[in-house]
Amino acid sequence: MPAARWLRRATAASAPRAPLWLLVMVLVLLGIRFSRGALLADAYALLSRPFWPGTAQSEWLRSARRLEDQARLSQLELENGRLRGLLGLQAASGEGRVSAPVISREPGGWWQRLMLGAGSLQGIATGQAVLAPGGLIGRVSSVTPTTATVTLLTDPVSRVGVWVGRNQRQGLLSGIGTDRPLLRFLEKDPQVRPGDVVLTSPASTLVPPNLPVGVIQAVNDSADPAPEAIVQLAAPVGAVDWVQVLLR
Amino acid sequence: MAALSRHPWCVATALLVPLLTLAAPAWLRLGGVPPAWAVLWLLPWALCEGPRSGALAGAALGLLLDSLHPASASLLPGLVLLGWWWGRLARRATPVRGTLVLGLLALVGTLTLELSLVLQWLLRGWWRSAAVMVSPESPSGGAAVLDPGVHPGPLALSGWHGIDLLGAGLHLLLAQTLLTALLAPMLCSLQLLLWRQLGAGSRG
Repeated sequence: MPAARWLRRATAASAPRAPLWLLVMVLVLLGIRFSRGALLADAYALLSRPFWPGTAQSEWLRSARRLEDQARLSQLELENGRLRGLLGLQAASGEGRVSAPVISREPGGWWQRLMLGAGSLQGIATGQAVLAPGGLIGRVSSVTPTTATVTLLTDPVSRVGVWVGRNQRQGLLSGIGTDRPLLRFLEKDPQVRPGDVVLTSPASTLVPPNLPVGVIQAVNDSADPAPEAIVQLAAPVGAVDWVQVLLR
Repeated sequence: MAALSRHPWCVATALLVPLLTLAAPAWLRLGGVPPAWAVLWLLPWALCEGPRSGALAGAALGLLLDSLHPASASLLPGLVLLGWWWGRLARRATPVRGTLVLGLLALVGTLTLELSLVLQWLLRGWWRSAAVMVSPESPSGGAAVLDPGVHPGPLALSGWHGIDLLGAGLHLLLAQTLLTALLAPMLCSLQLLLWRQLGAGSRG
């Protein structure tokens, strides 16, 4: 019985080491058990990485995420519109827009206006905000069935509530007859500096909130009764050929 | 004379004034300011037709041009005054012919028209600021909303203010007056020639 002899000899030789191996095995198994298979999962991830699914499905997931975000955004806009309605404020932008060509411009006279080739037949009404590439340029001051007249932000008649995007300081953007309107702050110490972006104010009842208007070019801290700033409009008023009217 | 009024197409040329005002060709501006087309049309008309027709034409032009602008200030009083004054000049023994005289008349006329607007804005601004000061709780004025804040009432007063008139307003006034006076000898003398021939023809 040579085989039985060999087995007996081997068992007798490894007998003193058996408890150590057993202990290590038990500890490893216990570690895996109490780490909820973390080691196993990580090892599996490492080994199976070459066989993971391609990017097609991850793109599909990203697209689903975008759809979800859009749905959430429209819900938030609805909610925001409802709350602004309760507060009696102007509705946020995002509703319909009408593109209209500029058929007459009078940027250098006593009255600084544009005439658009679209009017009440296209849904344009008095008071609506007018955007050019870059930001707000004015508001509709009168309409006919096929034309609309826009009072530019540079017209001395124009007054629009704005705020500085960086620190939310409120002010009144006033046309003074030049290419650059004047921002008159409602606080003694607005803490603004050249380069700050000016947006329409959420407190404004005339224009939708947070439309880009321009950039502060110079600040006059010693103006009375409050500091003033010269604003360079973001939209090129003198060169614009097509504008968009935000319908309410 | 009142002979031109019998030619409907002569009267219809007045429609060119609002059309040119709207078109405002960019190559015909000085510092971004267009000429006073109303002055360039009214001057030869009033010199041909006399004070009554001149004043009427001034009123018609004023109504046409005011319809293009908001009711903040009106061109009508200035144009009526100019039409009447230039018409009175036509009654003199020697008719106005020289191009230099036409240029000077256009210069004084444009200056008068612009100053009539400036006067209206100054009066309007003074009246509205007085109203805000008297009634600080009025909707246009309102109470101070922020603390430490600034009374928003005077800031919200729209229209040309005195300081703006001294800056952009002065530039506008000078540019428009100069450009109109430069164009008048050329355009007004042509119109005068044409309309005097038409007037003589219709009398003959």
